[in-house]
Amino acid sequence: MKILFSFLLLLSLVSCIEISDDITIKNDGSGTFRYKINLSESLVKVNSILALDSLNGKPVPSKAEISAKINEFVRLLDAQSGITNVLVEENYTDYIFKFSCDFTNIKQLQDAIRLTIEQITNEKYPVGAEQYWLSWDGTTLVRTIPAYFTQQIKNFKFEDDEKLKTGVYASITRFERPVASFENKLGALSKNQMSVLVRTNTFDLKNNQHLLDNTIVLTPR
Amino acid sequence: MPFSWAQLKSIQSEQLLPKDAVTVFSINNISLLQKISMDELVNYEFMSEVHQELFDGSTSGKTLKDAGLDFNQRLNLFYGKTNTHELTGFTFGVSDRKALFEVFDDFQNLESDIPGLAVYGTFFNNLMIKDNVALLIRIEPTMEHIDEVTDSIWFARGNEMPFDFFDDQISPDPENILDEETFEDNPNTNIFPEATENPLVKNYYELRDSVQMMLQEAALSAVIQEIFVQGANLYNTDTRFAAQLAHQAEGAFYLDNARNLDKSQGLWYFQTVLPTLYKDIQELYAGNVILGDLFLRDNQIDFEVDALYGPALGSIYQQMNDARFDKRVLDYIPASSPAYFTYNINLQQAYDQAFKVLLPLLSDEKNAQIAMNVLTLELLNEFINKEALFDTYKGSMFGTFNGIKKVTTKKIEFTYDEESFEYEERETQTQTDMPIFTMGFSTARPDIPELILKHMGRLTSRIQRFDNYWRIDNAILDAAPLYIINTGKLLILSNDEDLARFHSKGYGKEALGNKASKKAMRSGFMYGKVDVTQTLDRFPTEVLTPRNAEIVASLKGKSGQLELTSTETDAAHTRFKLSYHFEGQEAPGKHFLDLVNSLYVIYTLNP
Repeated sequence: MKILFSFLLLLSLVSCIEISDDITIKNDGSGTFRYKINLSESLVKVNSILALDSLNGKPVPSKAEISAKINEFVRLLDAQSGITNVLVEENYTDYIFKFSCDFTNIKQLQDAIRLTIEQITNEKYPVGAEQYWLSWDGTTLVRTIPAYFTQQIKNFKFEDDEKLKTGVYASITRFERPVASFENKLGALSKNQMSVLVRTNTFDLKNNQHLLDNTIVLTPR
Repeated sequence: MPFSWAQLKSIQSEQLLPKDAVTVFSINNISLLQKISMDELVNYEFMSEVHQELFDGSTSGKTLKDAGLDFNQRLNLFYGKTNTHELTGFTFGVSDRKALFEVFDDFQNLESDIPGLAVYGTFFNNLMIKDNVALLIRIEPTMEHIDEVTDSIWFARGNEMPFDFFDDQISPDPENILDEETFEDNPNTNIFPEATENPLVKNYYELRDSVQMMLQEAALSAVIQEIFVQGANLYNTDTRFAAQLAHQAEGAFYLDNARNLDKSQGLWYFQTVLPTLYKDIQELYAGNVILGDLFLRDNQIDFEVDALYGPALGSIYQQMNDARFDKRVLDYIPASSPAYFTYNINLQQAYDQAFKVLLPLLSDEKNAQIAMNVLTLELLNEFINKEALFDTYKGSMFGTFNGIKKVTTKKIEFTYDEESFEYEERETQTQTDMPIFTMGFSTARPDIPELILKHMGRLTSRIQRFDNYWRIDNAILDAAPLYIINTGKLLILSNDEDLARFHSKGYGKEALGNKASKKAMRSGFMYGKVDVTQTLDRFPTEVLTPRNAEIVASLKGKSGQLELTSTETDAAHTRFKLSYHFEGQEAPGKHFLDLVNSLYVIYTLNP
């Protein structure tokens, strides 16, 4: 838990961060979830932090410890029902981390992530928190950010809020058929009509964790 | 003749300092602090770390004046450590006891069998008042001592090991060794001893708690006896301390490094395994005391320090500091530099003297490992070309902090095509804030670093030769280049591209002016200057060790200039002077406390 906490602390100290979540939902409800964290713009900062033994009284994890934790996450997630092809790429030269997995249906994806977080942190998912942040009825997808993550973002005191404005969070949702409409005003539709991209900076996202919420309606089959 | 309190016509606060105090800050002119609120005071590390729990609702909004302190007496902060316990606290004069207890209202009156001595206690602290002087003290037995005594009693009573930490069930998984264990949440985890069936028989932890309390009481009682019955205190037992307090200064500082060494936990190995060598090291450090005066002058506070040492250590320092200042370093310190230092030592003479003094100590030790180390040392001493070594690095050096500059680093950007939002990675350049440091040293053998760089350059393309400098790519935090300038007389390392490209022959007219240069040249073996506002407020503390970060943090938010100078060193001592010059109308008392606080942090933080 301490390593995970320290890793999150490290992320909070790095203002220039690019995050991308990318979910592909097929017509049958199965799909692929991809998540990328890009810290390459904060290379100097990340390396200077990792060179320390501790920061603000908390131990700074080594690259090996971070890697071990990531691999533990992958191992636990891979063991969850309905999850396959869990892959992770760790690039410690540019500090880019990419994760992807396939899922049988959206409920199983969310349950798997929740259970994995509970197992890895030895903490119960916050009582009262919404368990599902994605819903899909075959035509309409409603997506929010998981309450667990919004809580983490709220709790962290970022070192330099102003610099957070240079950070980027991109949320992409892809489908097998064209999108008829979507609600989020920050969203953009791809030329092929089958993907929606919502992009914001990490400062705005910290202040309003519902910025990426979206309801996307597809054309009938 | 036994001590009698009545012998002393008027006891002063400094005469209540325990003789085991190793570090003391004595503030003479405490009237300076009259207007400083308790809320402000408790924010200082020297107060908050020591007695934070004293400060609560009753102290909020109050000043030291409200607390009935006698401003004609010194306020003495102390810290000490013996082999068995640590002690911290302060001594002060009391002019109004009623006011004192109205502000510090947590103290309970305790019994005292010493006539005229009033004793009070809280959960952590004890307060003793005799006539118009008070000692506030906290004593904590060391964990090692508590464990030692507890184990001794526990096993003497015929008990087995109190817990089985070797049980497979609870042996820690190395991967999760940092994870918190939640024993409380799992009542079935049966690894700690249960409370015994007989309530009169203590389990190990109950016994340990009792031992801790008894040791604390015994140590406190011993201190009370020493000070209030035998009249033994630091002021009486160390004449150097008493003499220091006689100076007409606003504050005094005392650190007995010899006793500090004696109690150093880091030397336990020597103490237990190599007692003879440990005794020799003790002798080497005998007489090593640091004494200081704090003077408050117009818009300036001066901290004058005298580092005393014994003949053996003194002989090494004397040889080390017998060095000529290399004026060439001044060309590489820009006048605009917010912080810089010069350091001027004779490494070869220091090495020769240290070899002469230390090797006999090591040679006398009858220990296989030490004997092998001595043999290695002697062989290296014979075989190594010391002249080449000490000509390459002669010992004189300088360093500058040239502020924060933007340096170009690469970054990877995610881009999304418009057709399907498929993403690609693109390498671009970005500007990153980086503190700019330069460090250089005198050399008489420029060919040796050149030789190393030339061969290293053949091994990797990251090392490249330019007209006047070498560049090593990604050498700084795997992101920014390091520049090496070999002038033939100086070897300079910097992450400042501007220096390498445009000033490899020095800053010329942009270098330090005559006045500043003379100060550096005349300042013994070291000189340093820091523009507090430009440097410390902008200094990235993340790159420092926690200890150094805390020191820098304690100085942040201040304004003005810090200047460190030293005198020539002789076999008996070296003198330093740290001047803190501040601008504006800010209260000198606050600046004074700021500096005391920073010094406290520097000298008392555990390394």
